[in-house]
Order: sequence, then structure tokens, then C-alpha cells
Amino acid sequence: MLSSILSTLFTMRFLLTIIRMATPILFAALGAFIAASTGIGNIAIESIMTFAALAGVLGSYLTGSAWAGVVFGMVVGVLTVMLIAFFSMKLGADAFLIMIALNTFADAVAIFILYQITGDKGTTASLTTPILGSVDIPVIKDIPIIGEILSGHYILTYLCWLLIIVMFIVIYKTPLGMRMRACGLNADAAKTAGVNVERLQVLSLVLSGIFAALGGVYLSLNYLKIFSKGMVSGQGWMGVAANGIANGNYWMLVLSGLVFAVFRAVSIIFSSNSAFPTDLVGAIPYFSVFVILTVVSIVNYYRVKRGKVEGQ
Amino acid sequence: MKETILKLDNVTKVYPNGTVANRDINMEFEKGEIHSIVGENGAGKSTLMKVIFGIERPSSGTVTYKGEETHFNSSMDAIKAGIGMVHQHFMLIPSFSIVDNIILGDEPTKSVFIDQKEAARRCQELSDKYDFELDVNAKVSTLSVAKRQKVEILKTLYRNAELIILDEPTSVLTPQETEKLFNQLRFFKEQGHTIIFISHKLEEVKQISDKISVIRNGVSKGTYLNEELSMEQLTNLIIGRDLDNDMDEYKTHEDFHHQNALEIKDLYMEQNGKPVLDNISFAVKCGEILGVAGVEGNGQQQLVKCITGLEETAYTGDIVICGKRVNELNIKGRRDGGMAYIPEDRMGDGVAGQLPISDNLISTYYTREDINSKLFMDSKKIAAVSDNLIKTFAVKTKSADAPVNSLSGGNVQKVVVAREYNTDSKFMIAEQPTHGIDIGSAEFVHHKLIEMRNAGAGILLVSADLNEVMALSDRIIVMFNGQIAGYFPDANKVGESELGMYMLGAKHQSAEEIGGALND
Repeated sequence: MLSSILSTLFTMRFLLTIIRMATPILFAALGAFIAASTGIGNIAIESIMTFAALAGVLGSYLTGSAWAGVVFGMVVGVLTVMLIAFFSMKLGADAFLIMIALNTFADAVAIFILYQITGDKGTTASLTTPILGSVDIPVIKDIPIIGEILSGHYILTYLCWLLIIVMFIVIYKTPLGMRMRACGLNADAAKTAGVNVERLQVLSLVLSGIFAALGGVYLSLNYLKIFSKGMVSGQGWMGVAANGIANGNYWMLVLSGLVFAVFRAVSIIFSSNSAFPTDLVGAIPYFSVFVILTVVSIVNYYRVKRGKVEGQ
Repeated sequence: MKETILKLDNVTKVYPNGTVANRDINMEFEKGEIHSIVGENGAGKSTLMKVIFGIERPSSGTVTYKGEETHFNSSMDAIKAGIGMVHQHFMLIPSFSIVDNIILGDEPTKSVFIDQKEAARRCQELSDKYDFELDVNAKVSTLSVAKRQKVEILKTLYRNAELIILDEPTSVLTPQETEKLFNQLRFFKEQGHTIIFISHKLEEVKQISDKISVIRNGVSKGTYLNEELSMEQLTNLIIGRDLDNDMDEYKTHEDFHHQNALEIKDLYMEQNGKPVLDNISFAVKCGEILGVAGVEGNGQQQLVKCITGLEETAYTGDIVICGKRVNELNIKGRRDGGMAYIPEDRMGDGVAGQLPISDNLISTYYTREDINSKLFMDSKKIAAVSDNLIKTFAVKTKSADAPVNSLSGGNVQKVVVAREYNTDSKFMIAEQPTHGIDIGSAEFVHHKLIEMRNAGAGILLVSADLNEVMALSDRIIVMFNGQIAGYFPDANKVGESELGMYMLGAKHQSAEEIGGALND
């Protein structure tokens, strides 16, 4: 039994599954992180991913171009965060309540639109849509093992990793990034230094919407190649959780996202093995979020207690 | 003839809720002078500074800077014009380096990236020029309060400020540090900078200023040359009457001294791998005020947190309140055992800002029988209690139902003190009880603390304001680096500069001498 589990885990297939699973979670985590960097808690990532996933497929179907679909998804992502910004910053509503409302009705709205357009309440399988493909990197793809690891992934996966590097540079090496972090750490200090806090917060929210949307269109245009009901299934929340664990530490964010991806990969690999009850296996990634968050907060509690860091 | 740099003509500021913060203020500031603005809290100093610094726009009247009428939309415009402000509460980001704090908003760049080398070079050059002795690559969180203030000043100089506004800059400094700051201010003056100095410490105002302007109730009471104004005249201008400054009429009540209100034995706690409370032992007797002096950040905050039960980090040692060991008790348990607490962060910890004054006046003893009926809270009894407190503590408000955050700082503090006073506790912690409030309210709070002491309560007074510690305390301990550096059994027999030496760590008493804090 144990050896069969181990032999399933230490395979190339498992590693490649992790990379596939990591992409949407990392997009979501980046979205949560960039918003948090200016002091905004974006918990609407999950719903933005859902809207963008559907919009991506519809955009692709209507225009006949998968990339136009990606742009369509990103536009919907931006519109969603602008809605949040408008209600909270202009009308003075509680941002968290708006985001909770969005998350609550996202699935239902998506299905409603889906049904209006396709007459199907489950998927967009009836629409023939152009989708995005994978990329084989010349030369590298021919190197044994390394070629298999680095080459042949979905195109948005490469975009995701590129974005991780670019955003690191933007956040930590440019004036813009420094000002954004300043807003999140002490908005009054930023304001008195002449930084336009509100504008940067809106900008970070827009970027957050774009990143989350990319996570959504990855699912519907690149990975699953259709939109189906409930397809985001908590991956946006995992990004939010990864951001919570990272607590402002960029590489910790990436690591947390990858850890969640590992558990999703475990769940996927084992669900094809009939020896395990599928419901239980399907719960693994969610259970891992619960366990990891609990462990992290217990560790933090004792760090404060033992005087390693100061409490609030 | 000197050159006028800033001129205010009939500046009036009316807030949307109808409060008139400034009325027809006329003032003139000359290039290269140190010009103090004094007045009670709520007198309108801060509003006036906000108008000058572009945070608020005047309702009527004009501000003329360098001969041109200003129309600042934000502080950004004021900064660009050459006005800098050092805020009372530092506007710094602790996890950033000094360099990053200074350059924020005006970063030198190399293509699209921040040019860290150039930034560090410029900051170090500035720091060296003004003899600030800073390592500009250090993180702000590792700096003392005095150094953080220097960073704030550097921020304004980096932006080429010619007019620098300092809002209560000495409230967190030791006498020695204040002296150093004043020397630096005089140097700025020589360099042609204009300084606007806001303070309620009148000795310091007299010491540093060329000119003094007084504001009372939003109205300017005139600008005077420092020489032509005596301390008494100045006080009179500020509060409109003579101040009763004689605390000596109250004598220590030794009848209560056989009991201890608080005993601390061998209190030890580590944070970030180093001791922040290092074997602290002392006692507060009933009927005395024990003053804790020290520069902020030398363990006073942690000490207070340990005593009140707010501390999250584990500590060792004994804390005994009114004869009972309270280490394992929560905050309510400690309060029930006879503790009252006036917290430093008035708006954050002292009151619930949006709730009415009446609720805030009972919030630490709302379960007490005299304000409850059998099942519900008795609003009539609560109203009676709060009306009585509002009257005896002279809280300036139209109604007990007004939210407490509609009051001025001094009146909010009166609400806090009134509530804690009304608990009839035998032990009181007063943490920075008059920080940032006006002279009138501060005087009132001081009298109430003394009244409580005379009635037999033991009071632990923690304050960064040395004058306050010296005026109120019967005995004094000085904290430095988490330790008690000095113990003075008679507060009347120790001078300000002597205490300053202990606060800065230049002097340290022997263990036997310090032992008196517990055993006397």
C-alpha cells in the first residue's frame, strides 16, 4: 500500500501535474498579494476567476480568437474590481461585504449567462471555441528529463512564471513598487511623502483583477478548454490563503502557492486510483489549506509567546 | 529689513460641521527665524498648520508664500513649494531603511529602477552635513525615537524645504536630546531655513524662539518678540487666566504607606532574542505616586502591558496587585482585584470612539450593580452616573449622548480619567496621562491623580514628559534598556539633567541602590 503510494508520487507525471495545478493558484496568489501590498484585502479573487473563465470562452467564441478571449476575460476582471472600487471608495460601502456578495452570486450569475447563450446549464461544450495551446521550447525540449520538466507546458503557465519574476522586480526594485508597499505599511506616511495613496490602491486593485482573470482564463481556455460549472472550486481562495501565509514575503507567497498545488496534484493522482474513496481524496487540497493555516497561526502564536517577534 | 517668507491674512477655517477652528488669523513669518506657535489643544494650531501645509483649504482669507498667494490642493503642492513638516506622530515606515523612508515619493532612478547607490549617497551626505550621525542603511525599526525624528527632519531637507514646521518635536525627547535638537535648529536658522515650532512646553518655547505667536480658541492673540514676554504673561495669553502650578500643597499621605498597591518582583521578558524587561523589581505603595521616567522604547510599554495583562509574550517573575498575585489573571480579573488603567493610546485603547460619552464613562465597570437593574442595564442610573462625571470633570460637551470622538483630545482624556477615577480602585496605572492634551486639561488630570493619591490609591505614573514625572511623583524610577537604571526615593531632590543622564544610559546605579524601589 505504502509503496504504491510512494511510487505514484515520485513520478514525472506527478511533477507535471503540480506545475499544471500551480498556475491558477499562483495567478490568484499574485492577485491577492498585489492588492494587499497597498493595504487592500481582495477576497473577491475566486469570483473574478469565475467571471473571467466564462468571459474568456465567450470572447474566444465570439471573435474566433483565443487571445481575444484572454483579453475579454481580463477586461471582465478589471470591470469587477472597478465595481468593488466604485462601491467602496466612491459610495462608501464596506468593501468586504461587496466582495462576499460577489463570491456568493458568481457561480449563479455565470450559470445564468451560460444558459442564456448556450441553453446548457453545465458547460460550454456545445460551443466550438479556439483555445490556447502548449509551448515546446526548441533545444531544451530535447534534453532528457530537464526538457520534460521545462518544456511543453501551457502557454499561460509560462506567462505566470514570467509574471512572478516581473512583479518581483516591479514591487521591490522600482519607485512604483516602493510607493505601493509604503501605502500598505503606513498609508499616512505615504500620503505625507506626497504619494497619491488612493490612486495606487486603485491601480493595485486593477492589477489584482487582471492577475485573477488570467487564472480564470487559464482554466477555461488553456487547461480544461471549456467553461464548466464550479470549475474554479476554491483555487482563488487558495491564492488568498497563500497571501495570508506569506504575510508580505514574496517568495513565501510563491512557496505557499506551490504547496497548495502539491496537495491538489496528490488529490488528482489518487482520484484515478480506485483504492481510495473519491470524496475523501477530493477533500485533500481543502483540508491541506485548513491544516496549513492552522499550523501557521499556531507557530506564530508561539513565536509571540516566546518573544521571537512582537505581538500586535 | 527682513524678508517675509509666509504671510497669513484673515485666515478662517470653518469645518463642514460648523466648528470654527481658526478665525481671522493674521501672522507673518520672516526668513531665517524660529517662530513658535503656542496654544492649548483644540485652540486651532493643528488646523492652521494643515492650512499652511496644504492638507486643508482655508474657508476665507489668504496664505501668501514667498510673495505669491498659495492654492495648495494637497501637501504634495506644499512640499514642492519648499514647505516641510515633521509630524508629532512620526510618518515613518518601520520596516523600510532610513534611505527608503527619506526618498519615498521622490526617488532617484536609473532607467526604471530605483538608484539605491545614489539614494544612499545623497542621504548620507545630508546626514553628515547636519551632523546627524545616522547610518542611512539601517532599518527605521531599530532606531531610537530621537533618531527617528532626525529621519523625519532629513525627509524635509531632502525635499529642499526652506520652511520647516515641527509639531511638538520635543514631547518624546530627553533634556539632552532636546538640547541637541535645539542646536540643530539654530544651525538650520543660520543656513537660512525658517522654523515654525509648535509646542506646549513653554520653557522650551522661551529657550528657542525668536518670535512667539499665541492662539486661543481659534483666534490669534498676537505675535511677540521672545524678549518682550515673560513666562507669566505667556501663560496668561494661552489660557486666559493664571495657572495654579503649585502641586506642593498636597502632601504625601504616609498613613497609607504600610500597604503596597503593586509589587513587581524579578520581572523578566525576552523579545526578538533580547531581554526587554530585565529583572525589574519595585513596589507602589498605597498613597503614593511612583513615577517611571525614561525615553520611549526602553521597556515601559512592555512593563505596563505585563501589569495590565495585555502582554502576549510569556514572562517570568511576580506581579502582585493589592496583595494578590495576578500573573494568571486576565484583564478583567486584574481590574476586579483593584486595578485601574489610563492607557497611552487614548483613541485606540481608552475609548470606543463612535459610542456615546455616557457608554464610555461606564465601559470598564458596566456590570456593577449600581448601574444595572435585575436583567438589563438601567439607562436612568447610567445617565445619572455619567452626567455627574461630566460635571465634576468639566467635560466640554452639549450632551452625554454625543459620540466621544466628537470631543477634543483633552476632553476625551477627561472621559477616560473620569471613568477610571470612578472605579474607586486602590491601584492606578497612568500611562502618558497628559500626552498631547492642552495645559488646562493636563492640569485638571494632574489634580485628579493627586486627589486619588491623597485618598489612599497607589499610582504608577509612566510618562515620557520629565516635567510631569518630577512634578507629580513621590518616588521615581528611571528605565533604560529594560532595566531600572536609577531609583530616587525623594522626587524633590533630583534634577532634570540628573534624570536625563540615567535615561540616556550615561549613569547606572548599583543593585543595592535600585533595590530600594522595592524595599523602601
